[in-house]
Amino acid sequence: MFERHDDIVDRVVQQLRQPVSIDPAVDDRVMAEIAADAATPRPRLARWTWLAAAAALGAILIARPWAGGTASPLNAFQFVLVAPQASSVALVGDFNDWDPARSPMRTAQGVWATTVPLAPGRYRYAFLVNGVEWRADPGAPAARDDEFGTPSSVITVGGNGS
Amino acid sequence: MMLTVLLLVTQVAVQDPRLERLDPETRSLVVSVVDSARAVGLPGEPLIQRALEGVTKGAQGPRIVAAVRRLATDLGTARSALGTRATTPELEAGVAALRAGAGPQVLTQLRDARRPPLTMALAVLADLVTSGVPVDSASAIVLAFAPTARDADLVEFRRAVERDISLGAPPGAAASVRALNTGIRGANDAAVPPGQPPRPPSRP
Repeated sequence: MFERHDDIVDRVVQQLRQPVSIDPAVDDRVMAEIAADAATPRPRLARWTWLAAAAALGAILIARPWAGGTASPLNAFQFVLVAPQASSVALVGDFNDWDPARSPMRTAQGVWATTVPLAPGRYRYAFLVNGVEWRADPGAPAARDDEFGTPSSVITVGGNGS
Repeated sequence: MMLTVLLLVTQVAVQDPRLERLDPETRSLVVSVVDSARAVGLPGEPLIQRALEGVTKGAQGPRIVAAVRRLATDLGTARSALGTRATTPELEAGVAALRAGAGPQVLTQLRDARRPPLTMALAVLADLVTSGVPVDSASAIVLAFAPTARDADLVEFRRAVERDISLGAPPGAAASVRALNTGIRGANDAAVPPGQPPRPPSRP
């Protein structure tokens, strides 16, 4: 490893080869310290501490913060109706209590649109044109069970992001 | 305890300001139906929404009450088929499937075949039948898709079938051909060649 004789290296090697001498009293001192520590009385945890810890654990298990909460995620959906002759169009459905005032639609050259946040579920809805005319969404499945004599559509929002 | 809960539930329905849009007689009957439904564990919100739909569409009171009662009955049927753990969206989609013509046993098979939520699978089943696909074919296809298909796969399948129908394809043939050509595992087993009677759904 060393191609030339080096005094420094020799001295280091000699030092390393010398046996290490430890003061024989070290063991006694260490054991005395351990014995003294064990003899010192530790403060006992009060019963209420354990109860509080159990309550906190129970609360965490009930709340399950790692589950992400129970609130349903909302996804924004755009509803569009082409009605060039209409003077007003409102979107009504299960998501806004069928209240025409809740989701008025805005127009750009006859294309009426609005965006509504929806939680997972299946919703019936329809367009109210000029306050009197009911129209289904031509781009969505029709509601088969229309019991009130006017067309409605359905939208289904999946529970896993679809 | 139960009496207290029932009283609280009743109070909630009575005090719901949304129902003030109904005339007093209709409101009283609707509240009664909603309370009865809630008392047996059925969701009240779909019933309230159906009543609000009726009043917004200008329907007469008896027609609104009849629609709410019918929905309450169908929600109960859907829950019997889907189980007590079914969520409100699942029950509503289940009602749609039932009204489209699917039998309660199909809902139960779907529940056993697919992990929840079942909302989209039930909705696609209802929408396919509404589009004209025979209920047996639609049920067999959705049940075959159920174990592995994602909600997005089901929606895409439904859109493809509706697109084919709008282009002139017979609904049953459109569904069968799309099922045969889809990459969803199990779909080929359920596909019914056009012109042949559908096979009964098989359990996964």
